Amino acid sequence: MKKLIEFKNIVKKFDGETVLNGVSIDICENEFVTLLGPSGCGKTTLLRILGGFLEPDGGEVIFDGEEISKIPPYKREINTVFQKYALFPHLNVYDNIAFGLKIKKEPKDIIEQKVNRMLKLVNLEDYGKRKINQLSGGQQQRIAIARALVNEPMVLLLDEPLGALDLKLRKEMQKELKRIQREVGITFVFVTHDQEEALTMSDKIVVMKEGQIQQIGTPIEIYNEPINEYVAKFIGESNIIDGIMKDDYQVYFEDKLFECVDKGFEKNENVDVVIRPEDIDIVPPEAGMLKGTVKSVMFKGIHYEVMVETRAGASITVKMTVSDHKPVYNESAGEKMSANDFYLDISDIDELTKADIIARADAQAWDAKTDDWISISKVEYHLEKKNGTYPVTFHTSSGTQVTVNMIVADESKVENERFDEVIYAVNFFKNIDELKESVALETDLKTWANASAWQLDDDNVNINITSVEYDFDPENITVGTYDVTFKTDGYEYKIETTKEQTEGEKVGLRFDPDDIHIMRKMEG
Amino acid sequence: MKNYKGLIYPYIVWIAIMIVVPMLMIFAFAFIQDDGSSVSFTFDNFKRFFSDETFPNVLKRSLGIALSTTLVCILFGYPAAYIMSKAEGKKKSLLVLLMTMPMWINMLVRTYALMGILADNGLLNSILSFLGIPMVQIMYTDSAVMLGMVYDFLPFMVLQIHGSLEKMDKSLLEAAADLGAGKGKTFLKVVLPLSIPGVLSGITLVFLPAVSSYFIPNILGGGGYTLVGNLIQQYSLTTERDFASAISLIMAVIIMLSMALTKKLEKFSGTEGSED
Repeated sequence: MKKLIEFKNIVKKFDGETVLNGVSIDICENEFVTLLGPSGCGKTTLLRILGGFLEPDGGEVIFDGEEISKIPPYKREINTVFQKYALFPHLNVYDNIAFGLKIKKEPKDIIEQKVNRMLKLVNLEDYGKRKINQLSGGQQQRIAIARALVNEPMVLLLDEPLGALDLKLRKEMQKELKRIQREVGITFVFVTHDQEEALTMSDKIVVMKEGQIQQIGTPIEIYNEPINEYVAKFIGESNIIDGIMKDDYQVYFEDKLFECVDKGFEKNENVDVVIRPEDIDIVPPEAGMLKGTVKSVMFKGIHYEVMVETRAGASITVKMTVSDHKPVYNESAGEKMSANDFYLDISDIDELTKADIIARADAQAWDAKTDDWISISKVEYHLEKKNGTYPVTFHTSSGTQVTVNMIVADESKVENERFDEVIYAVNFFKNIDELKESVALETDLKTWANASAWQLDDDNVNINITSVEYDFDPENITVGTYDVTFKTDGYEYKIETTKEQTEGEKVGLRFDPDDIHIMRKMEG
Repeated sequence: MKNYKGLIYPYIVWIAIMIVVPMLMIFAFAFIQDDGSSVSFTFDNFKRFFSDETFPNVLKRSLGIALSTTLVCILFGYPAAYIMSKAEGKKKSLLVLLMTMPMWINMLVRTYALMGILADNGLLNSILSFLGIPMVQIMYTDSAVMLGMVYDFLPFMVLQIHGSLEKMDKSLLEAAADLGAGKGKTFLKVVLPLSIPGVLSGITLVFLPAVSSYFIPNILGGGGYTLVGNLIQQYSLTTERDFASAISLIMAVIIMLSMALTKKLEKFSGTEGSED
């Protein structure tokens, strides 16, 4: 195929901010090329440079062998379908389509022939006399396409033309556009943020991110061999797992060596491994290459989306001691006050403030009649930096006081080295009423136990605690000691299957060597 | 949500007292003859208006001056509005400010100021004589009256056109360029047709006050200079209240006709397409 358009190292800045950073693309004759990326990636800017509405700050735009970046739009053999169609409201449908031909002073009968042919092409034959504001969004869309195509451009630019249409109409227009492109046989450059749209319509997809090209390829190439995690995530829901390339065709992940079809990586290079949900089969556990438990099953119309956990996340179990202490009632001052015993890490003692102690003990004072909060004016305690039990007394200014125990113990955290995770939580004491009154128990349990998780090598990267398990009924809890377990997510795989699965079932996962796609880790 | 419909009643009462009742009275004065003993219906006041050439000539002159004022306002106002709408940021705010600033001052005061400039020994002639150019006699001529009207009414035209140019979707200009239209063609085929509604409402806002103005011709045209507005004023100040009412009605009909005409034009230029 002959090259029609060449972007060479295009740079564009707005107010000093780089929107396009050295973009180079070749576009051939009769190709349907899609610029794909999230908003702000520079795809529309690139299209506007090609249309002539913006001038690049650097680089060249070669069109049909000629540098055109300084040529005004009206001298380019390129037409655009604008995002909001930009149909002329003072002209009817016929005159909108005829606009370009009249400018070129084509004979009246030729104009009529061409306009009518276009109306036929977009399936709006009898709409010539209609006013623009009498058309639906989809019809306006078609007229905008007809108005651009009637000039017989060498390239048609489409700036998110389907964005304003509803889902059903969008699907129809996708087919329609593809048909029109095949029929008129010219180059289409299409801008969208919808990966599905890109995959169904394009001959070539250009995936962009922050003014740079991530990958150029056919839809199948982009889908099956995404070049990095960004493209893989943008193009569709995928399982992306950390792995190590041991050798050509040998990738190591989930503590196992797998055969794959990729090569050319460094030995022991860290890579991202992609396995598409539809490429994984669910088999009996003994037949699986990976084993796991079905965590959730969701019906998606034509298939089920099944989440299988192959390895549990980090977890920690703490003891919750439930008491039924009543608040202290100071009749003369009309005040009530409560506080709980609490555990303290020995390593936390140095940085402990009075506010911390009030929070940890959940010390509260309030007016017995109005329930208004009363501030705690004094905290009395004596602490030593060794394990033991230390009393702490809270006072209000009118003399109400409560004494509880601080229990200093060694740090209670669990490191999960295979997962590079640390999870932390402490034992705690709670009043029975507080448990019963809790409206968001799991969140409260996390707060009370001070539960958190982070990455082993970088404690600034927090990891979500996704599950809280406990063996009591919060409605009918009694005094006693209970276990509470906090867990992070493990390795989960998303699988698309037509067979229904049961939650909690043990299953095996199978995939072929050519279903494993290896990507280089993204920089930064 | 509360219902605020009741708030319209004070306005309705106001309109009834200040507009509807006086209108009915004008009707009554114009058509009813009261000779002391009996009351009868009459066309005499209208016959008198058209009986000789004097009054129709005043009418013609009024319409002529108002029309040419409107035309001059379009000729000067359109480019001004266009430049304003093309300007950006601070420059635009400054231009809009300059255009509206004269309106902060009372129109009557401005007209008197103009008299000071145009008078035989006024500012204009002082400058001319300083430059050694022969002095001109503008005061108390058609030119002075027209100059006064253009000066007073031009901002209305500019702001209306500017408004319609501002409202225009900028992507339409890109679309025209995309379809092969250069700057001139884009202006003629897209910008101008889409700004016609603004021009028409500008015409309404300039022509109507111009055709019935009486203090501008009074001040800049002098005592002997008569337009319809002055006629009405003269006769209503004397005892010939009925005749003044008849002239007012003739004016009202002309104004209504001209408004109907602009409405028609608006429809025609609006969303209707042409097959040229």
